[in-house]
Amino acid sequence: MGNVTLPGTRTYLALDASCVTAAEVSHGVKTARLRTLAREPLAPGALMPGPAGANLADEATVHAALGRVLERVARERVTLVLPDGLARLALLETPAGVDAREYVRFRLSSGLPWPAADASVDTLAAGGSRVVGAAIGRASVAEYEQAAIAAGARVEQVFLAPLVALAGLLRAGAGEAVHAVLGDVALCLAFVRDGALVGLRSRRRDRSSGEASRLAEEMRRLQAASGNGHAGVTLAMSGSDAPRLRADLGAAVPSLTTSTLPDGDEAGWLGGLLQ
Amino acid sequence: MTRQPDFRTAPRAASGTGWASALVAAGVLAAGVASYQALVAREQARAAGARLAEVTREVAALKTRHAALEARAAAGGQALLAVDAPPSRIVADVATLLPPDVRLERLAIDYQRGGTLEMLVVARDAAAWDLLLERLERAPRIRDVEPGPEARAAEVRSVVRARWSAAP
Repeated sequence: MGNVTLPGTRTYLALDASCVTAAEVSHGVKTARLRTLAREPLAPGALMPGPAGANLADEATVHAALGRVLERVARERVTLVLPDGLARLALLETPAGVDAREYVRFRLSSGLPWPAADASVDTLAAGGSRVVGAAIGRASVAEYEQAAIAAGARVEQVFLAPLVALAGLLRAGAGEAVHAVLGDVALCLAFVRDGALVGLRSRRRDRSSGEASRLAEEMRRLQAASGNGHAGVTLAMSGSDAPRLRADLGAAVPSLTTSTLPDGDEAGWLGGLLQ
Repeated sequence: MTRQPDFRTAPRAASGTGWASALVAAGVLAAGVASYQALVAREQARAAGARLAEVTREVAALKTRHAALEARAAAGGQALLAVDAPPSRIVADVATLLPPDVRLERLAIDYQRGGTLEMLVVARDAAAWDLLLERLERAPRIRDVEPGPEARAAEVRSVVRARWSAAP
């Protein structure tokens, strides 16, 4: 497709610790279709997503990877997708008559690793009066933006990968399921029931031995804490390492499903876009 | 569709889609056309107002003139203007009509009643009187000659009424 942007087509440029991904997605009225997918692996340690401090440990390597993926997609209308691990996330019930964004800022400000004034706060509607609140340090956002712009992308939007994935799960309106949305360094566990988010956990990943079983246990605990406790709730994984974790779990969790997206695009955010 | 949180730090100048931008552009264009049309309409209304004021002034002037003409017609309709028939000219014309044995003692000219003449004349005899009346009746500018009652003693004394016309 080269560098020509078709009407209704947008390029999503995502960075995570293991790779840089660019996806051209054409949006219809209610549908989204993947047109082009480009991926460049990153050397370990080149990019380390975190809520504070510099994330681009090896700027030259990240810049080169960005340049290579952008050669294969349109650069005009780019949405930058930030990796999980940068933001503080929380599922909050907003009181009536209160601005949701300000309420989230108030609730999250005490736990931020930077001054609240330096936080960029936004919300995702999660059903009813609930919202997923997210707070990111402006300096971190700017670091990713500048890297993408320096590589030739015309950045129009900056999304957060776990929120894109969660929006897709909510949009799909599936019945009752606990989803694990995996990033390279952090993960989100979301309990979705009837198109609404009823439980959410977010933490950094522990890739040491036994991660798969620990994750499965955590998904069950979320189900027990947020749901009605009955068995048979679907467990689903998407994102980085999902196929490997599922293989590790094997027959221990027969109800576990993984993303059915085409080869190489198992990222949770991409699945959310295409829901 | 659920609004996706956007954490961009740069000013949000180009966030719309192509369709949204086209719609915004169309809206701006429509607003511009509407503003231009409103401006033109306002200018036309102003010109029409000025023309109406001008016509109103003309109507008022014509009404005044019409009222004057009606008053003039009501006053006799046949008024004679002094500029059309100055007294000296009327006197000169009447003097040329007098026979040698007739003298004009008084002449009154009523311009408001269409140039009515009232002439007090004295003729030495009846023949001179008759000749005067004949000349008056034949004169091209003298109309409606009405001889008054005659007083005949040694001479004929009478008042003759007539109307002098500017057009022969």
